[in-house]
Amino acid sequence: MKVIVPIIGLGGLSTIAILAILFAGLINAWLGQPLPVLGFEQTFDQPINFPHTKHAGPVTEGGLGMDCTYCHRTVENSSSAHVPAVELCASCHRAIGSENSEELKKLRESAGIYSENNQVIVDPKKASPINWKRVHRLPDHVRFVHSAHINYLTNNPGAIKNIPEHLNIYGKENVLSSEVCSTCHGDVANMEQVHQVEPLKMGQCVNCHRENGGPTDCAACHH
Amino acid sequence: MVIENKDRNWGMVIDTDKCTGCNGCVIACQVENNVPLNDQNKFERGRVMSWMRVERYWEGEFPEVKARFIPIPCQHCANAPCEPVCPVYATYHNNEGMNIQVYNRCVGTRYCANGCPYIVRFFNYWEPIWPEEMRNHLNPDVTVRSRGIMEKCSFCIQRIRRGARKAKEENRELEDGEITTACQDACSTQAITFGDLNDPESKVSKLSKDDRSYTLMPHLNTDPNVIYLASIKENKEEFQEEKANSHD
Ligand code: SF4
Ligand code: SF4
Repeated sequence: MKVIVPIIGLGGLSTIAILAILFAGLINAWLGQPLPVLGFEQTFDQPINFPHTKHAGPVTEGGLGMDCTYCHRTVENSSSAHVPAVELCASCHRAIGSENSEELKKLRESAGIYSENNQVIVDPKKASPINWKRVHRLPDHVRFVHSAHINYLTNNPGAIKNIPEHLNIYGKENVLSSEVCSTCHGDVANMEQVHQVEPLKMGQCVNCHRENGGPTDCAACHH
Repeated sequence: MVIENKDRNWGMVIDTDKCTGCNGCVIACQVENNVPLNDQNKFERGRVMSWMRVERYWEGEFPEVKARFIPIPCQHCANAPCEPVCPVYATYHNNEGMNIQVYNRCVGTRYCANGCPYIVRFFNYWEPIWPEEMRNHLNPDVTVRSRGIMEKCSFCIQRIRRGARKAKEENRELEDGEITTACQDACSTQAITFGDLNDPESKVSKLSKDDRSYTLMPHLNTDPNVIYLASIKENKEEFQEEKANSHD
């Protein structure tokens, strides 16, 4: 008896522990976003540590203040925002950037940039795409179209949410495409590592569609 | 600003006199809508999936036989028998006159397929598998349905959405004939016409008032949005007689 009781006790404890973990997993899956205890801003390391802060960050804070649409070029007229091809990175970085930066070395390798006899050569034959990891992913049965949302928000800035501090768009009638992204993506320009800030669940979509008179027909997104 | 949603009534007119039975529409639909491929096993079990099918009839006695073809997509009935039987509202009518199938809502009871008199609903009995080299050809605008889900002709809703979006971005009304379905594009004899039946000026509504027009199984009172034009007979009396006697 003296041996068995602690064993049963241990079994009970571990059962409760396992159930608790399962329950936390269920809640986590239901809410669809990382629980604060598990790390609210959890994201993954990208193959190249691309700093949005340096590129899109405000000039006053040491960024270049580039438009989002400079790299995510198709966002205004296609369903997907597209991650730029490595050639677009190469168009600047064949000349710009430190020789010794580890991240830029990786980029030059991907883009097929090398120097020979003091000349910079871009060899497309040596280029290979960068295997970026996707941060914002919608389920496969949702057809989200960027262009329609950009089109609406640029003409109706009142519906923009999460407006970053450095943007001054209050009271404007029309805004640039790059100034509306924060509604769903947060202030990416100030993120060292891009992470998801909004749950991007159907409830959020439908709420916003209701507020702004968007279609709430199932077949508007699910087909 | 409220986005105005003009109520439409999408409809299709199929001229069976023009149809040559080439099955081009079947293939086009298969490609456009990521419909799984059929193999011998599926045929033998009677579980073929094809949102559009072409039925063949023989007319007359040998040696005076004629083959007649009738392409059958989902009829998008206004009184659809499939809709009230769905326990989870996965299939419903929207304000554009279309019978919608919401894949992520479907739980696979197959009641709707039992209710459909036209047999145009298809159930995914297996996980759809494409050959490796075809996977990059899947249409990104259409969901790939997994096992256990009912599917059917959607009137190429992804094309309707795309057209409507384009018109809105350009701040204009949709024009008649601007939106075409994949089967319509593929039809070499232009037997298929697609458009808004609510617009009296559209090509479909004019064609649908043609003398030759009829719907499939009118006695069931399903009021389909797919309207057929009968094949032309040599004399008019024969046609009128046939139309008067037609039950289904
Ligand atoms: S309208 Fe589109 S979905 Fe329907 S049969 Fe034709 S191609 Fe297929
Ligand atoms: S593509 Fe046109 S002609 Fe060929 S079977 Fe289909 S409807 Fe008939």
